[in-house]
Amino acid sequence: MGLRPLGTSNRSLPEPAFRMAGPTVFPTNSKKSWFVKLLTLTPLLLVLGAACSQGDLSTWNPAGPVANKQLELFNALVWVMAIVFVLVEGVLVYAIFRYRRRPGQPRPAQVHGNLPLEIAWTIIPTILIMGLGIWSVIALFEIKDPPSSDEYILEVTATGHQWWWEFEYPDAGGGKTITTANELRVPVDTSVVVKLESDDVIHSFWIPRLAGKVDVIPTHTNRTWFKANGDQIDTLPATFTGLCAEFCGTSHALMKFKVEVLEQADYDAWVSNYGDAPVLTAQAEQGKAVFAANCSSCHTATGPDNPAITNGRLVGFLAGAAIAPGPNLTDLATRKTFAAGLVDLNEENLTAWINNPTDIKPGNYMARKAPFYQDGTNTLSAGDVSSVIEYLLSLK
Amino acid sequence: MATIAGVLVRPSGEYAGIWSWVYTVDHKRIGVLYGITAFMVFLVAGVEAGVMRAQLATAESTLVSPDVFNQMFTMHATAMVFMVIMPLSAAFFNLLIPLAIGARDVAFPRLNAFSYWVFLFGTLTFHSSFLVNQLPDAGWFAYASLTEKPYSLGAGLDFWSVSLLVLGVSSVAAALNFVVTIINMRAPGLSLMRLPVFTWMTLITSILLVLAFPVITVGLVELTMDRNFGTHFFMPEGGGDPLLWQHLFWVFGHPEVYILILPPMGVVSEVLPTFSRKPLFGYPFIVFSGLVIGIMSWAVWSHHMFTVGLGPVANSVFTITTMLIAVPTGVKIFNWIGTLWGGSIEFTTSMLFAIGFVALFIVGGLSGVSHAVAPSDAQQQDTYYVVAHIHYVLFGGSIFGIFAGIYYWGPKFTGRLFGERLGKLNFWLMFVGMNLTFFPMHFVGMNGMPRRVYTYPADLGFEIYNVISSLGYVVLFIGIAVFIVNYLRTMRKEPDAGHDPWDAPGLEWSISSPPPAYNFAEIPVVEGRDQYWIVKQRAEAAGEPIPPAEAHVDPSTIHMPSPSFWPLVVAFGVAILGAGILTHVGLSFVGGVIAFIGAVGWANEPAAAEATHH
Repeated sequence: MGLRPLGTSNRSLPEPAFRMAGPTVFPTNSKKSWFVKLLTLTPLLLVLGAACSQGDLSTWNPAGPVANKQLELFNALVWVMAIVFVLVEGVLVYAIFRYRRRPGQPRPAQVHGNLPLEIAWTIIPTILIMGLGIWSVIALFEIKDPPSSDEYILEVTATGHQWWWEFEYPDAGGGKTITTANELRVPVDTSVVVKLESDDVIHSFWIPRLAGKVDVIPTHTNRTWFKANGDQIDTLPATFTGLCAEFCGTSHALMKFKVEVLEQADYDAWVSNYGDAPVLTAQAEQGKAVFAANCSSCHTATGPDNPAITNGRLVGFLAGAAIAPGPNLTDLATRKTFAAGLVDLNEENLTAWINNPTDIKPGNYMARKAPFYQDGTNTLSAGDVSSVIEYLLSLK
Repeated sequence: MATIAGVLVRPSGEYAGIWSWVYTVDHKRIGVLYGITAFMVFLVAGVEAGVMRAQLATAESTLVSPDVFNQMFTMHATAMVFMVIMPLSAAFFNLLIPLAIGARDVAFPRLNAFSYWVFLFGTLTFHSSFLVNQLPDAGWFAYASLTEKPYSLGAGLDFWSVSLLVLGVSSVAAALNFVVTIINMRAPGLSLMRLPVFTWMTLITSILLVLAFPVITVGLVELTMDRNFGTHFFMPEGGGDPLLWQHLFWVFGHPEVYILILPPMGVVSEVLPTFSRKPLFGYPFIVFSGLVIGIMSWAVWSHHMFTVGLGPVANSVFTITTMLIAVPTGVKIFNWIGTLWGGSIEFTTSMLFAIGFVALFIVGGLSGVSHAVAPSDAQQQDTYYVVAHIHYVLFGGSIFGIFAGIYYWGPKFTGRLFGERLGKLNFWLMFVGMNLTFFPMHFVGMNGMPRRVYTYPADLGFEIYNVISSLGYVVLFIGIAVFIVNYLRTMRKEPDAGHDPWDAPGLEWSISSPPPAYNFAEIPVVEGRDQYWIVKQRAEAAGEPIPPAEAHVDPSTIHMPSPSFWPLVVAFGVAILGAGILTHVGLSFVGGVIAFIGAVGWANEPAAAEATHH
C-alpha cells in the first residue's frame, strides 16, 4: 500500500470480561484424533488463549451497553456449547473406544432403539433451547432502544457509500447541523441513535466494541444505537474503529470509519467551531481555486451538505455523468484519518492519495469520475496538488 | 411418418466405447458422469480457495487484486454449493436409488440423462466466464443492488444468473425423477418405513429441491431482467426493493442448506450400522427428524437476515424457530451415537469419515445455535465466525459424508476395494487439515475480522489465525491429492471387492460388483428393513452358506430402456438458450428451436432400439 497504516491507540485496554476456556472448546473425535489434535493444536491453543480479547475490533472487548449485552449472551452460549460439546463428543469418543471390534467377536445384540431414551433426548434439548430462546428474546427487546431514562439522545444519520461513510447531525447541539465523513464524533456516556441510509448498495454499520451490526439498505431506513461507557474507557478522547460488514464491492475491505469518543466539553467545542471560515495562506487561496475548479462538483468543503446538491450528485452518478457523491471535507484538518479511516491525515498521504487514489482504495469513484484523471492518472500539476493540499489542511 | 421414424431410430443398447457414455440412459453411468464432473469442479473450487488462503496468509498482502479476490470467493462458493455438493449427492442418488429400492432404473431414464447434460452445460457456462475474464464478483448470495448496473457493469453477474437458471432446470428435473422413482418403483414389500435411510433422505431432499428451486428461479429471472431488459425489481431508483432479493434468495437458501446436508446424513446413517454390525438405532426417529428438518427448513430463512432490520418481533420468531431446528438435528446425532453404542466397530476409511462427520457436525451444529440467538449474532454475522460454522457443516459435514459414501459404495461400482492405508492417510490429513483451517476462524471472527475482505491490517492480531488457516489449507490439499492417488491406484488393480465386502444390509450388496446393466435379474421381494441382512442371517441360522451374488443373465432377455441422443439435444438447446442472454438474444431463439426439435424427437422416437424389440 506504500502508506503508513493507521496506528491503533495505545491506551491500555480494560481487563476483558471473558476469556475463552482453553481446550474444552476443541473438537475431540475418534480415538487417535484426540492425540493428533492436541499435538498439532497445542501452540495454537496458547496463541488463541492469549489473543482472544485483544484488538480494536474485538467483540470480546466491549465498551458500551449494547456490545456488553451481546457479549453476555455469547459468553453464556459458549458455556452451554462447551458443556454440550464435552458431553456429546465425550460419549462419542467413549463409544468408539469401548465398542471397537475385537478379533472373533460375534455379532453384537441387534438393538433397534429405545423409546424412553428418544423421548428424553428430544424433550431435554427442547427445554434447554427454549430457555435460551426466551432469554435471547428478552435481550433482543432490552437492547432495542436506548434506556428510557436517558434525557439526551444524540441523533446522527449515517449514509453508506461505496466505500466511505457520511455522517450527518441534524442537531449536533444548540441546533447546529453538521455533515462530516468517516469520523463520527460523539460525547462519552451519551446514547447515540444512528439512522442508517444508503444511496447505492447494501452496507452494514458495525462498531465491534460498541454495538453489533445493522445493515444499511437503500430504500429502507434502519436504526441502531450505541453508547460509549466512560467507565469502560481509560482515557479520553478514545478512538474506536467501525467498519462495513456487508460485502459491497471492490474495496469493501477498506470501508472503515472512526468513532471519536470525546469529553462533553471537547465535543461541544468541536460543534461550535464546525464550519468556521478557515484562515487561508496565499497558497491555500490558490488551492481553494483549484478545489473549486476540479473537486467541488463532488465534495463540499464549506459546511453541511445541501440536500439539493447531494441529490444532484446521486442523480448524475446514476446517469453515468462525471460525478459521484463525495465525502464532505468541511473541517477536514480536524480529522485524524481520511479515505474511510484508512490512512492518517497528513500532507504526504494526501499527496499520494490525489496522485493515485486507486493505489490506496481500488475501484474508488474519484479516479474513475473526476475529469482530471486520465485512465486513473492524475493530470493536475504538482503545484496545483500541493496548493490544494495546503487548502485542505487549513480547513479547521 | 416413415422418414421421421427413419431419422429417429434409437441407438442399440450395446454399451461400449465413448459414444455409449454420450447416449447412455443407464442410471449407474449417469451417476459416474455426475460424480466425475462434480469432482473436477471440486478441484477447481479448491484451487480458488487456495488463492484466497494465499492472499490472506499475510496481512496487507498484494498477491491478488481485490477484484480477483472477490471473484474467487464468488466462484468458490457458487461452485461448491451448486456444482460440487449438490451433484455429488446427485451422483449417489443415481448410482444407488434404483439399486437400493430393487429397481432396474429410475422412472424416467431419458429425463435422467437430460438432467446430467443440463448440469454439465450449466457448469461449463458458469466456468466459461474464465475464458472471457468476466467473472461474477458479488458473492454466492449476490445481494442486490450490488448486482445491478451501474454497480456491476461486467458480464460476470449474467454468467452467474444464467448458469444458475440452467442448473435449476437440471435440479428440478432430477428431483422430480427421484420423487417418482422412490414413490413408484420400490420392490414388492419395500414399504416406506423399510426404506434405507439414504433413500429416505433422497426423497426428502428431492421434495425440497422441487419446492425450493422455483423460488430462486423467480429471483434469478428478475435479476436477469433487471440487468438486461431494464426492469427494476431490485433497483431502488426504479421503485424496486433490494430486500426482496434477500427474501427470495434465503427462502430458497435455507432449504438449500438442508438439500446439501440431508443426503450426506443419509450416507452416514447407512455407513455407521454396517461397520457397527448393528441396525440403525431409532430408525423412525432418524427418518422423522429428517422430515421435520425438511419442513422446518422453510421457517428459518430470516436468520440469515437478523441484521437487516426486520425488527425485534420478526427476529424473535426466527430466533425461536432456528433454535428449534437444532432439536431434530440433535436427535439424529444422538441416534448415530446410539448406533455405535454396543456395536462392533470396524475402523474402515469409510467409517472414519462417517465418525468424522458426526464429530465435526456437532461443532458446526453448536456454533449454529450460537448465531441463532439474534442479539449475539449481530456480532457474528458476516464475520469469519460464520465462515467457520458453514465449513464445519458443509465441509466437515457434507464433504466428509460424501467421502464416507465414496469409500463405502466405491467397491460396489468399481469392483475394487479402495486402498485402506492411503484411505486412512487421506482421512487423517483431511480431518486435521479441516480443523486447522476452520477452527481458528471462530476466534478471528469474534476478534472482528469480517468475511469477504481481501486484506486486513497488520495491527489487529488477525494474522496468526490466518497463517494457521492457510497452513491447514495445505494439509487439506495434500489430503485430497492422496485421495486422487488412492483412487487411481485402486482403478489400476484387478477387481477384488466381491459383491459384499462389508457384510452390508442393503439390497445393492446382493448383486455383483459392478452391477450388471439391468441391476436385478429377478426383482427382490423385501421382508423387512435391512433386507440383505435378513437373507444372510437366515442362511446363517439354517447353517447354509451365505448366498453368492445374483448370477448374471443374458441381458437381451431383460427389457431395459434403450439409449437416446435426444436428452443431449434438448439439454444443448437449453444451454444455447441461456448463452443467448450472454451474447445475443438471437442465439436464444436458435437454442429454443434446438430444444424444441429435441423435444419433438424425444417424444416421437421409438420406445426401443430395433435390435431390442421384444
